[in-house]
Amino acid sequence: MSIPESIAKPLYDAFIEGDEDAANELTQQALQAGLDPLEIINTVIVPALTEVGRLFQLGEFFLPELMMAGEAAEVASKHLEAAIIVSGQASQKLGTVVLGTVEGDVHEIGKNIVATMLRAHGFEVVDLGRNVSPSAFVDAAQERKAHVIGLSSLMTTTRPAAQHTIQLFSELGLRDQYSLMVGGGSVTEEWASELGVGYSPDAAGAVELCKRLVGINPS
Amino acid sequence: MQSNWLVEIMKRAQSGPYIKEKEFELALIKRIRKLVKEYGIKYDANTLVPADDGMADRVFQAGLDLFVEFGAYCQSTERQILFSRDEVLDILAMAPSSVTLGTGKDAVVMRHRGVEDPTPATMHSGPTGTPASEKYHPQILLSCAQEPLVDCLGAGSVATYLGADIIPGTPLELLGARRDASVAREAVRMAGRPGMHINDVAVSLTCAGKMAACDPDAGLRPSDGILVSQMVELKTDFDQLSRVAHLYNIGGITVDLMTPLLGGLGGRAEGTAVVSVADHLLGVVLYDVDYHMFSLTHLNYVNNTDPMGIWTQAMVGQALSRNTPIILLNDIYVLSGPGTTELLYECAAGAMVGTVCGFNMQGAGTTGGFNRDHTTGLEARFIAETSRASLGFSREEASELIPEIMKGYIHTLSNPNRGRPFPEVYDVETVQPTAEWLDMTYSVKEELSKLGINFQYAPRPISS
Repeated sequence: MSIPESIAKPLYDAFIEGDEDAANELTQQALQAGLDPLEIINTVIVPALTEVGRLFQLGEFFLPELMMAGEAAEVASKHLEAAIIVSGQASQKLGTVVLGTVEGDVHEIGKNIVATMLRAHGFEVVDLGRNVSPSAFVDAAQERKAHVIGLSSLMTTTRPAAQHTIQLFSELGLRDQYSLMVGGGSVTEEWASELGVGYSPDAAGAVELCKRLVGINPS
Repeated sequence: MQSNWLVEIMKRAQSGPYIKEKEFELALIKRIRKLVKEYGIKYDANTLVPADDGMADRVFQAGLDLFVEFGAYCQSTERQILFSRDEVLDILAMAPSSVTLGTGKDAVVMRHRGVEDPTPATMHSGPTGTPASEKYHPQILLSCAQEPLVDCLGAGSVATYLGADIIPGTPLELLGARRDASVAREAVRMAGRPGMHINDVAVSLTCAGKMAACDPDAGLRPSDGILVSQMVELKTDFDQLSRVAHLYNIGGITVDLMTPLLGGLGGRAEGTAVVSVADHLLGVVLYDVDYHMFSLTHLNYVNNTDPMGIWTQAMVGQALSRNTPIILLNDIYVLSGPGTTELLYECAAGAMVGTVCGFNMQGAGTTGGFNRDHTTGLEARFIAETSRASLGFSREEASELIPEIMKGYIHTLSNPNRGRPFPEVYDVETVQPTAEWLDMTYSVKEELSKLGINFQYAPRPISS
C-alpha cells in the first residue's frame, strides 16, 4: 500500500522542519491508518533525511536543522520499529557502524554529524562519544557485531591515537573482520591510504563510504 | 572576584541540575532560536557591519538570557553550573578593562576597546591554530616576534617531540610543552624583546601539559598567559577548571579561549552571535579571565572571513563592547595560505571588522589549520597595519569597504588557495620574507589604498 499524499507530505515536512512533535503525532496516525511501517521509512523518512543531508552539504542547513531532523526521525523510528516487530517484518538496517572520537580528543561535533547522517540513511550507529580508548572500540565492535568502525580525530596530536586503535585491531587478529574508516580535521586521504583504511573528508562522503564498505552501491 | 570562587563553582558543578549532554545541546538549540526571534536579531548580507546600536544591545541581552538560563555544562559531572542574573552582572561589573601583558619595556597594556575606538588594537601573533614542524617552529616564532607592530606571541603547536608523535596525557606532551615554551622564550629574546607576553603553548591539551610549560627561566612566566578553553557551546570540565586553579596559584594571566561554530549549535549568524556573547560571559563568570580570545569558526569552511563570519564578529564585538568592560581579542582565522593575495585580503577583512567593532587583534590562523608550516610573521604585520589603517573608520564605512575587500578571496571559499610553507616564502637563515611574498603585500596594500584605506607605512614600490 502506498502512502497517501495527505499523510506523506506533512510527515515529510515535519522531518525537514525538525518538528519532533509533529513527526511523533503523524507517524502514529499513519500507523493507526494501517500503513506499512517499512513503506513509511522508505518513501518518507529516508527521502526527507536525505534531503536534509543534501541541504546541510550545500550549506543551506546547519547543525541545528540536522540534529532536530535526527531527533524527529528517532521519535518516529520508535513507533515504526515497534510496528515492524509486531508485523513480523525484518528490520532494514544497512549495517552497524561503531563511531567515536579517538583517545585524547574531546571534539565530537564532526563525529556527531556523521552519526546523524548515517542513521538517516538507515545504518545502526553505536556512538561511543569522545576520548574513546582503542580497547573500547574493539569491545564495541565485537559486542555489537559491527560492520564498520569509524574513528574521528580533530587535533594533530590525537592522530596517533587513531593509528594505535587501528594497530590494536591488527594485533588482536580482528583487522579483517571489520571495515575501518577515519575522518576529522587532522586526517588526510594520504594518511588513511598509508594505513589502509577508508577516508572521507565530509559527512556525506562518510555515508557513501559506509555504503561501499557494507557492499551497497552508492547512489 | 572572591578568592574562594572556585570552591563555590566546584560545589555547583557537583550539585547543579543533571542533564545528558545531547539533551543540553537540543535545549540550547531550541532556546537560541527563540531568543533570536524574541529579540528581533536579523542577519543582512548587504550590511556586514551593522551600525545598529539597538540590535547590538539586543544581541547582548539575548546572550545574557541564554547564559543565565543554561550556565555552563560540566562534562565531568554531566551537570549545569548555574548563576543568577545578579551574580553574572555583579561579576561582569568587576571584570578587568585593561591588563598589563609582559614585563619591562616589552610590556603592553591591552585595553577594552569601544566601537569605532581610535585606540590602536593590541596585536597578538604566532602560529596559533596552524601546526608547525619541529624544524621550522623556531624561525616561524621569530618571524612573528620580530615584527615591530606585534605586541604578544602565541607559541603555537608542534605535533612531535624529537620526531616522536606527541600524545596528550603522556610524558611526551609534558616534554613537548616545555620545549615549545622554551622555543617561544628564545624567539622573543632573539627578537630583542625578552619581556614580550607569550599567550599560550598550544600543544598541551591537558592541564598537566599547560603546567609543564611554566618555568620562570625557560618557559612561561606569570606575565605570560595560558588558555582555558570552552568546548562548544558553553561547556567546561574539571581539566579546564584546574587550569584556572593553577593560574591562581602562580598569578598568571588567564585567557578565555572559545571557538563558537558558525553553523554549529547556534545555527546561522544570528544565533551564533547570541551564543558567542554567552560564551564570553562564561569566561568572565566561570574562569575569571583577564582577556577573551574569540576564535569563531565556520563549520564548513573552517574560517571566520566568510560573510556570515564577518557579520557575527561585528555584532559580538559591538554587543560586548557597548555593554561590558571586558577585553576582546579577535582571532582572525583564514582559509588561504602564505604567498597568496587571498590570504592578505582575508586578513584585511578580519582586521577591519575587528578594529571597528571593539576587538584587539590576533592572527593569522591560516589554511583553516590544515597545512603544516603554512604560517609566517608577514601576515601578522599585514593585520597590524590594516588594523591601524582602519582606525577612524565608522561602521558604515567598514560595511561598504569590506565587501570590496572580500572580492579578493570570496570566490575561493569552496576551493581555497593554501599557498606555500614557511621555507618557500621566507629565507630560513635570515628569517626575512622573500621579495616575492613581500611584494605581494605591497601590491595588495596598493589595491586597498585605492579603496581609501590609508596605510600608516606607505607601500614600497613593487620591485621590477
